[in-house]
Amino acid sequence: MEVQKEAQRIMTLSVWKMYHSRMQRGGLRLHRSLQLSLIMRSARELYLSAKVEALDLEAPSPPARCPDPRLHPPREVEVPAACVPPDGEQPLPEPMDTQEEEETLVRCSPRPARVCRKRRSSSLSDGVDAGLVPSKKARLEEQEEAKDSSSEVPDCLPPPPAQAEGAFPNLARVLQRSFSGLLSRGPAASPTAPPARDAKPACRPADPMLSVLVRAVVAF
Amino acid sequence: AGGGNDIQWCFSQVKGAVDDDVAEADIISTVEFNHSGELLATGDKGGRVVIFQQEQENKIQSHSRGEYNVYSTFQSHEPEFDYLKSLEIEEKINKIRWLPQKNAAQFLLSTNDKTIKLWKISERDKRPEGYNLKEEDGRYRDPTTVTTLRVPVFRPMDLMVEASPRRIFANAHTYHINSISINSDYETYLSADDLRINLWHLEITDRSFNIVDIKPANMEELTEVITAAEFHPNSCNTFVYSSSKGTIRLCDMRASALCDRHSKLFEEPEDPSNRSFFSEIISSISDVKFSHSGRYMMTRDYLSVKIWDLNMENRPVETYQVHEYLRSKLCSLYENDCIFDKFECCWNGSDSVVMTGSYNNFFRMFDRNTKRDITLEASRENNKPRTVLKPRKVCASGKRKKDEISVDSLDFNKKILHTAWHPKENIIAVATTNNLYIFQDKVN
Repeated sequence: MEVQKEAQRIMTLSVWKMYHSRMQRGGLRLHRSLQLSLIMRSARELYLSAKVEALDLEAPSPPARCPDPRLHPPREVEVPAACVPPDGEQPLPEPMDTQEEEETLVRCSPRPARVCRKRRSSSLSDGVDAGLVPSKKARLEEQEEAKDSSSEVPDCLPPPPAQAEGAFPNLARVLQRSFSGLLSRGPAASPTAPPARDAKPACRPADPMLSVLVRAVVAF
Repeated sequence: AGGGNDIQWCFSQVKGAVDDDVAEADIISTVEFNHSGELLATGDKGGRVVIFQQEQENKIQSHSRGEYNVYSTFQSHEPEFDYLKSLEIEEKINKIRWLPQKNAAQFLLSTNDKTIKLWKISERDKRPEGYNLKEEDGRYRDPTTVTTLRVPVFRPMDLMVEASPRRIFANAHTYHINSISINSDYETYLSADDLRINLWHLEITDRSFNIVDIKPANMEELTEVITAAEFHPNSCNTFVYSSSKGTIRLCDMRASALCDRHSKLFEEPEDPSNRSFFSEIISSISDVKFSHSGRYMMTRDYLSVKIWDLNMENRPVETYQVHEYLRSKLCSLYENDCIFDKFECCWNGSDSVVMTGSYNNFFRMFDRNTKRDITLEASRENNKPRTVLKPRKVCASGKRKKDEISVDSLDFNKKILHTAWHPKENIIAVATTNNLYIFQDKVN
């Protein structure tokens, strides 16, 4: 669990840094954005591998297939575990099961609003890691303010807006809105009580966060 | 340095404000000696360039080399605003590169994130006097009052050093410029941003040739950026560029117009025992410099300096650890953003010693022949001229000996990112946040 918490802390910190770097004079720097996204990816993989290990200790749950064809490029999800070189070109035979499960877990996250509706009823009760499944709140987040996220589990990343594409200034507004709750707590806010997400399904979309920020890089 | 005659470094001068409250505009962002070493240029975050000139050696008292005094100061770049992207363009000077001297004037290139400028620095020590139609103060005389004619003559005046922008090379970079490098033909130069490298002719400002483009068709597939680039000192067709993944590519402009395919790829396989969460980002190369001979090149990543033989691509020939004790602190260094610091490195004139900066205002030198290294500190505490600098030592763990400093006591706000070595002599310029230190070797 420590590993998960640490990974989550680093992800939160990275998101804050990404937001903060946009406020700097000269705007977003491509190299810095890339480095931050690399850290977020590593943190996510660490988080996932720790979660999967934890899941493996319990009864293994059937992987949830995601029907969404518009999948995030699978390159970055090919890496099975933290101890394997991130090339991902040669997946090890051993953790193949883990990798596959992981892949499907992660694959379903990138398009939160669209996918979430379908998955919510079917898969969440299977004990699939709720921390990675996006929630309906992801879409609502856009219309309502960040008040939803703050009423949710406080220590996790708030769901990102569904659409973060578009011109640079729009992204700024969107990020500002979504992260205002997060920012008011600051990056040093450490996880408090064990997240309620283990008890009831809530959505902690680490991966959509990454895709949002990859799109930040694209927009730039 | 070799045998028993190791160099002893002495404090010579320090330039800049004394107070601890650093104005952001005064933060030094680049340091560069010219080809003769007589001039030393610094650029700062406020867009200013300050040039120091070495005094001519006092032939009678030759126990110290000439001091560097301010020669010229000018505002190179101003902040700009890109209205299309709603982005401010910083005026910070990222790099200065000198042209070799061809006539009485000096020329240098200075660049911020988007625009490169060619500056001419010239001396004026006489002025014309005795015009017929103008008064001495410039006002025009009434022609009807002119009754005699005279020939204007040059009269001596106090030395004035003028800097004027001769060329402005703009609008060629979408991303932030990180390097400029003048070709050995002294007619062309390259400028590199995160994804592209452009080739310019010094005379032509409205056109540049794109010679490297690593922008992927789909930006979501972006995995690496260009971090530095430099022309080979002797081969005018050869240049290298380093990446955020720790690789260096050597390109030959004769091979094709667009040098997307490298001639050589320098990459060291990662040491699996050193793998960590942050290994990927600390392998990013922050600086690349050819040796004066052109046979070797040096790269700086976050923790080490590597020397590469251009004839061997699969690993460096020498690796020097700058501050290995930081490897276990990478998470904290990520939190305080220090892990993103871009340290530069430099060669001495004979390519026998390399130097780079670290934290706590420490800087390190590695002697390639004796394999000895030394850590020195740039501090106003040792500010008596000709005071020999005492070697410093960082205690990584365990019992701290006397005079050692423990890793946790290091001041990570005091970082030396920019250093320069005189091309011919043992004189070094070391920039702390807002001060410039000049050290010389002890002359008996």
